[in-house]
This record gives sequence, structure tokens and C-alpha cells, in this order.
Amino acid sequence: MIPELSQYLEKIRHKAKLEDDDGSAIISELEAHIEDKLQELTEAGLSKEEAMHTCLGEMGSTRLVARHIYEAYSQGTWKQVLLAAMPHILFGLLFVLNWWHYPGWLFIVLMAIFATAIYGWWRGKPTWAFSWLGYSLVPVLCVGGLLLYLPRGWSLLALPVYFPLALWWLYRIIAHTSRRDWIFSSLMLLPLPIMLGWFLAISPNGKLTEYSLQRVDYFAPWIGMSFMAMALTIAAFIRLRQRRLRIGLLAVSGCLTLTLVVYYGTGRLNTLTFLGLLIVMWGVLLVPLLERRLRSGRLLIWKHKDTPATT
Amino acid sequence: MQVGPKRDLIKGSSSYLLLSLLERQPMYGYQIVKELTTRSQGYFKFKEGTLYPALHRLEESGLISGRWQMLPNGRQRRYYHLTEKGEAKLALEKSQWQDFLTAINLTLQPGTSRP
Repeated sequence: MIPELSQYLEKIRHKAKLEDDDGSAIISELEAHIEDKLQELTEAGLSKEEAMHTCLGEMGSTRLVARHIYEAYSQGTWKQVLLAAMPHILFGLLFVLNWWHYPGWLFIVLMAIFATAIYGWWRGKPTWAFSWLGYSLVPVLCVGGLLLYLPRGWSLLALPVYFPLALWWLYRIIAHTSRRDWIFSSLMLLPLPIMLGWFLAISPNGKLTEYSLQRVDYFAPWIGMSFMAMALTIAAFIRLRQRRLRIGLLAVSGCLTLTLVVYYGTGRLNTLTFLGLLIVMWGVLLVPLLERRLRSGRLLIWKHKDTPATT
Repeated sequence: MQVGPKRDLIKGSSSYLLLSLLERQPMYGYQIVKELTTRSQGYFKFKEGTLYPALHRLEESGLISGRWQMLPNGRQRRYYHLTEKGEAKLALEKSQWQDFLTAINLTLQPGTSRP
């Protein structure tokens, strides 16, 4: 294939965030179209360079074509909506119906979430799998919480080891999931600040006590509602076609849900905590984008170094 | 997919145009572009890369169906044809457009209304 053509098609594939199956088919169609047109233009007397220039100009910029492709292919089916919203619904039901009291239900829900997350990862991380993957990060937070129960000296020893390891592991997951599209990593991380907010609302000193569990009982309907709000967000996210709307939805919904957490956790969460949580929320939404930018910047530097100097 | 001042006028009619083009025979993407340019005498000009997402949406709605075909020279092309649902939709859209055009023509004709 002509290098200019392959670059053009590769840029479209990258910008349109195409999945392998859809991507190969649409790129093949674009390639066939361009080759037909090139042949016709060169037979009409244009040089190869002129023909390529005319052809790519009439196809449209990679940004325009990629945007149209993204909008045509990005909308998920209702089955995907149900699958993607399911972990939030399950967590919501745990609290709305007070199932969280029963270890059996907790075990079933957690096992369903891990099994589905592993299945989704193994099946190439389809769009619906990202919301499940987010919940599979919860045990990492739980391990951090359990370390607080160690005798004082041991906690001081364990936490400096735990934090870098947990952050490294989280970074690896983000780096891996954002390869396809950073926005899915943000989707995956969305429940974490909400959970952190509720945790702080029920136990501001960071430890679960008998009193904290009473507080969970008190907050249970609102905790359930916040998970249901996330389920609705995911449903709308999967059905939306425009990328800007998807990003806006995550940002607005995340902040509104946090506001709900703070509003119903009155007396426990002050303005400073709310601002801190908002920063965490924006961090959650933007860290995957930053990771992608850093990675592409690093790749560009490497490519630049590899390119021999031309005179 | 249209660029220029006609954009708004054409925006809602792109699916109707594509269905009309596929009414007579199955076509592949580049053939559709050429046929549209010929039949409209160059009136409809758009960025050709945006044709395929439009075709995908019609296919997703079940109005057209695409099939890859191998050519004797070893290259492949994807031919699109109307489905039964697409034929019904085209008939409906055709009737609506004809009513619309009749109404526009009647409105634009001078001196036909009575006080």
C-alpha cells in the first residue's frame, strides 16, 4: 500500500477508536474506494502524487471522517446498556433492599462482578465490561482499609508499601484500558470517588465501627440511589453517539452524584471534603487522558529519535 | 455529509437519496458517489469518506444490506442492496417528498391564491 494512503487510513482508525471487527471492515471499504478513485484519476492523466492529493482531499480530513465513523459505530445496543448498567444496579439493590446485611448476597454479588469482569477482560474488553472492571478495583481499596486495623506499628510499616503498590497497580490497569480509549478508563473509575465519599460519610476516621454500620443503615436508600444514578449515566453513555456529549455526561453526572453524597451525608462531609472529592472526581476523569497524552508524547519522542537526520 | 450553503436543505434527505440510488441495482461505495454526482449533475457534493458511516447507519436500521464480493482481479468490494424494509421506507419517503415538492411549487407560483 502507498505510505500516504496507509498513514491516512491508520489515522482514521486511531481517531475513530474503532474496535478490531468494525475497524477492519470500514478501513477495507475506504481503502477500496480510494484505490478505485486513484486508478480512475491516473487513467485520466494525473500523476500518482496529484491523484493521491486530489483523492484524499475529496475523501475529507481524517478528523472529519473519523468523527462520522465514531458517531456511526459508537452507539451500543440495549443489550449492552443492560450489561454495562448491571454492576451499578446490583450494588444499588444491595443497599436499597438492605441485602448488604446478608453475607450470602454480598458474596454472590461480588462473585458475579469478578467473574463478569474476568470474562470481559478475556473477551477483549468490550464496552460493557468497563463498568464491571471498575468494581473489581474495590478489593484494592478494601485491603488498604484493612491495613488500618493492624497494630499501630505494623500499619505504619505496611501503608508506605501498600500505597505505591496500589497506585502502581491502578496505573497499570488504567494504562492497559486506556489503550483502546481513555474515556472507557474514566468510565471504569467513576464509582471509586462515589464509594470513597460514602465511606467518609459513614466513618470519617477511616475505620468501620458498629456506629458506622448504623450509619450505613441510615444512608442505605441514598447510597442505593447514587448507584442507580450511575446505572442511568452508563445507560445514557452507551446510547450516546457524540464523543463530546459522552465526556460531558461523565463529568456532570459524576459531580452531581458527589453532590448527592455530600448533601445526604450532612454533618459528616464539609465543604473542604466536598472540594477534595471533586478534585478526586476530576482526577479520575482526566488521569486516563493524561496517561494517553504522556504515552503518545513519549512515543513521538522515540519516533523522533529513531528517525535519521535528513539534509 | 454535505458541505456549502445547501447543507441544511440536504441534511434531512441524505438517507432518502442513498435509498433512491440503491433502488435500481446493488452498488458499492465509489459507484454510489459517481452515480449521485452524475444524476444530480454535480449538485450534491460531499466529503466521500463520510459516505460509509451513513451507509452503516442505514444498514444498522435494516434498510440496506451489504455483502463483500471478490472481483476477478483479486480486489474486494462491498455491494449494498435495499432490503424489504428499505423498499417500504423508500416508498414512504418518496410519497412524502412528492407532497412536499408539490406544496413548495404551489406556494412559489405567483398569483394562484384568491383574496
